[in-house]
Amino acid sequence: MKKGITTISPAFEDIMPEEYRQLVAEGPFGKDLGLGDLGTFKELIEEHPLCAGCGLALGIRLIIASLPAPENTIVVGTTGCSAILFPQLAMHNIHSLFGNQSAIATGLSRALRLRYPDQPKDVVVIAGDGGIGDIGFSFTMQAWFRNEKFTTIMLDNEGYSNTGGQESGMTRQGIALNMAPTGKKYPKLPMVELAKTAGCAYVAAVNPSLARRLGKMVRRAVLVAREIGSTYIQVMVPCPTNYKFSPSETLKQAKALNPQPIEYISAEAEQLLKEAEK
Amino acid sequence: MVERKIVDPEYLLHKAPREKKFLIGNEAVAEAVRRANIDIVVAYPITPQSEATHIVGDLYAQGYIKDYYRGEDEFAVMSAIAGASMGGARTFTATSGPGTLRAFEMFPTWAGARLPVVCAFMCRGVNSPLSIQPDNIEIGWLMDTGMLIFHAEDPQDFFDMTLIAYLVAEQPDVHLPVGVCVDGFFVTHTREIVELPPENEIFPPYNPHLSPVPIMDMETPPIRQMRDPFVMKSNYISYNTHASWQQEVRAASIRARKHITRYLGSAVEVTYPEANILLIASGTAAAQARVAMEQARQEGVDVGLVKIKVLRPFPEAEIIELAQSPERIIVPEHNITGWLAREIKSRIKDSGKVEGGPRVFGGMTMPPKIIFDKIKQNGRMM
Amino acid sequence: MLSSEYRVVVGPEGYLAPAAASMGIVLPEPGEGLIEGVIVPEREAMHKIAEKLLTAKNPTFFPGPLVLWAWNDKAIAKAQAVKALAEAVGAHIIPMPDYRPKYPMINPQIEINPNHPNLTIWHNDIDVCVFVGVHCHYANLALKIIRGGTDCYTIALCGEFGHEDAMITLRDVNTAKLCTLLEVIEEAKIEVGVR
Repeated sequence: MKKGITTISPAFEDIMPEEYRQLVAEGPFGKDLGLGDLGTFKELIEEHPLCAGCGLALGIRLIIASLPAPENTIVVGTTGCSAILFPQLAMHNIHSLFGNQSAIATGLSRALRLRYPDQPKDVVVIAGDGGIGDIGFSFTMQAWFRNEKFTTIMLDNEGYSNTGGQESGMTRQGIALNMAPTGKKYPKLPMVELAKTAGCAYVAAVNPSLARRLGKMVRRAVLVAREIGSTYIQVMVPCPTNYKFSPSETLKQAKALNPQPIEYISAEAEQLLKEAEK
Repeated sequence: MVERKIVDPEYLLHKAPREKKFLIGNEAVAEAVRRANIDIVVAYPITPQSEATHIVGDLYAQGYIKDYYRGEDEFAVMSAIAGASMGGARTFTATSGPGTLRAFEMFPTWAGARLPVVCAFMCRGVNSPLSIQPDNIEIGWLMDTGMLIFHAEDPQDFFDMTLIAYLVAEQPDVHLPVGVCVDGFFVTHTREIVELPPENEIFPPYNPHLSPVPIMDMETPPIRQMRDPFVMKSNYISYNTHASWQQEVRAASIRARKHITRYLGSAVEVTYPEANILLIASGTAAAQARVAMEQARQEGVDVGLVKIKVLRPFPEAEIIELAQSPERIIVPEHNITGWLAREIKSRIKDSGKVEGGPRVFGGMTMPPKIIFDKIKQNGRMM
Repeated sequence: MLSSEYRVVVGPEGYLAPAAASMGIVLPEPGEGLIEGVIVPEREAMHKIAEKLLTAKNPTFFPGPLVLWAWNDKAIAKAQAVKALAEAVGAHIIPMPDYRPKYPMINPQIEINPNHPNLTIWHNDIDVCVFVGVHCHYANLALKIIRGGTDCYTIALCGEFGHEDAMITLRDVNTAKLCTLLEVIEEAKIEVGVR
């Protein structure tokens, strides 16, 4: 990113609204900040209309704050609750259609590699479990098979929340939701195992109560995608609205559903991260 | 790869010396791609398109195109093309019939996102039952997506229109996708003389900074930018925004007329406009209509021909004007729905004078004789 | 109404105003401008802009991201020129920092958004406005909404080919052209006795 893009033209410094002046003065661009710095800088999400206790909103907040180079990162999302938040993100981001995010990201990351051969541009897909595991499953897997150099992060709230609470492939077996009136008939999709099988160089799963761990994973996944190839993180972000629990219980639910973080690192990625984390 | 030279597009199109080659349509479109200075091509096999993107793949291997890969299906291909275009790259892809339908959600999305994508449609029949044969029913559906639609008659048109498509698509006041359509096999697999400018002369690169919407590269202000946001709160403001956005896409298409005139000459090509009977056709139907017209004229029937080269924006003023004097208008088409007849009838004052047909489809050829017979039937009616 | 009779004039035009292009209004060629849908020499359009701004009750400039952010030297210089213009006519400046829908969180007192520009115009009772440094797609989006729902007179100083949906537009506007416009405004001020 050219420095001036987040500098206000001198002629207009006095008339810019406060939120933009804060973004310039106290934003994270080019400062190498991380999760541990939350609360000391102006975050890139201005405001959002998601529900009280939304696990997904917390997940996105932590993910965005963990990006190693937000000034050179483009986010690709898809339809769902996250797409209601993303217009408020102070980064270039794309909402195209429901499910095509990995194909969009493929074209985008290839274009940016051509246009900026000397400046790494990180492309990060952040999408829901329905967007990645169901409607976008084929594009997700195929991008992994091709070893496209971008990160995919699933916000797993085990259902379609934005459309009113339907079962998804990531819903656990037996749970009754809309469109599964007698309970889901098959197990949760094994996306972590599929990512490994498809050849992702870095695969992780975590719940947002382990914030530092999540932050490290995001950083690692983006660095590995930049140099080596596809990476995947699955973040457990329960939905109080859809699953009818109290908004204050979100983290408790997340811990219960995914108590043990998973991290798989290929030998090549291991080598890269060893260098990067020296 | 030969040493390449960037030249002025108008020179390349209209002034550069041209050499005669004997090419099928799929080779002709690849020759256009060779000269268009394209960054990224994404391909997916489907007959009768595949051969064109095979040749383009060879061009990539030779270094004429910067990136190329086979996508996983047409929806993914058209999505990847959108991602590349939003990232500031010049793109090319192609598909046919069922591929067009599989990818369809992307076409209004390209238009709404103001992406200057060029896509070749080598039209073929759609299921069911399966047919790989020529039939251009898909053009009728594409016409309402907001894309610009050109319809090439032969390999020469296919070459010229594909290059022109980039020039029109990338104008800042247009910045819309262009579909360059041909009738499958009749054009894609038919060898004809095509006149080509030198193969080492190419277009200047795409300049993403003239885009009417920000490019997604974190180098273009504003940084807080989503392409393209939900505009769906349940209130009049949101509806009005979406409506105004749609209007702007259609307005951009209308603005393309000026640029089409500049580069393509005219959206229509007219022979004997004062005739009593006027044939109006596009694509290979225009070629067959021309043969029929000449036969009929030899027999003393007063018949003329309008070949429509651009279907979107539709040459409304030209067709209204041309439709005034003839007593009968005949519209031969390579599809069952008669989308061109519908377009014409809905615009002219006396739609009763339009005879939709003859129509052939499912791969059937259109012998000039069936058009000739139609001319004679209508001639008797006068 | 025949499309050739259509004029781009102050609204409110109605429930859903048409795109001027679809009503037959065409963009100017280099050296030309548009006044209410009619192509005129650029100089004439500049004089009309001066007249409109100098006689307005609450003229307001809406600079967009292409001049609000200091992303290159041209943008910085252009921003200075825009500010000088606004000061010369005693106009307010309300920025359009980005294009995301901000309803209902927008503070119409201090910012404008292309998805609901009418809120800012109504709130501040703006009778003449100037778009500059806004990406063309978003400018057209906003200009139609303004014409449809408000009685604000719209002027678009476009760096590309101009805007049919504005009541006056200039094309190819760079810093030099803004300086020429400033000169025209200064001359007009003397003519009408504005100090």
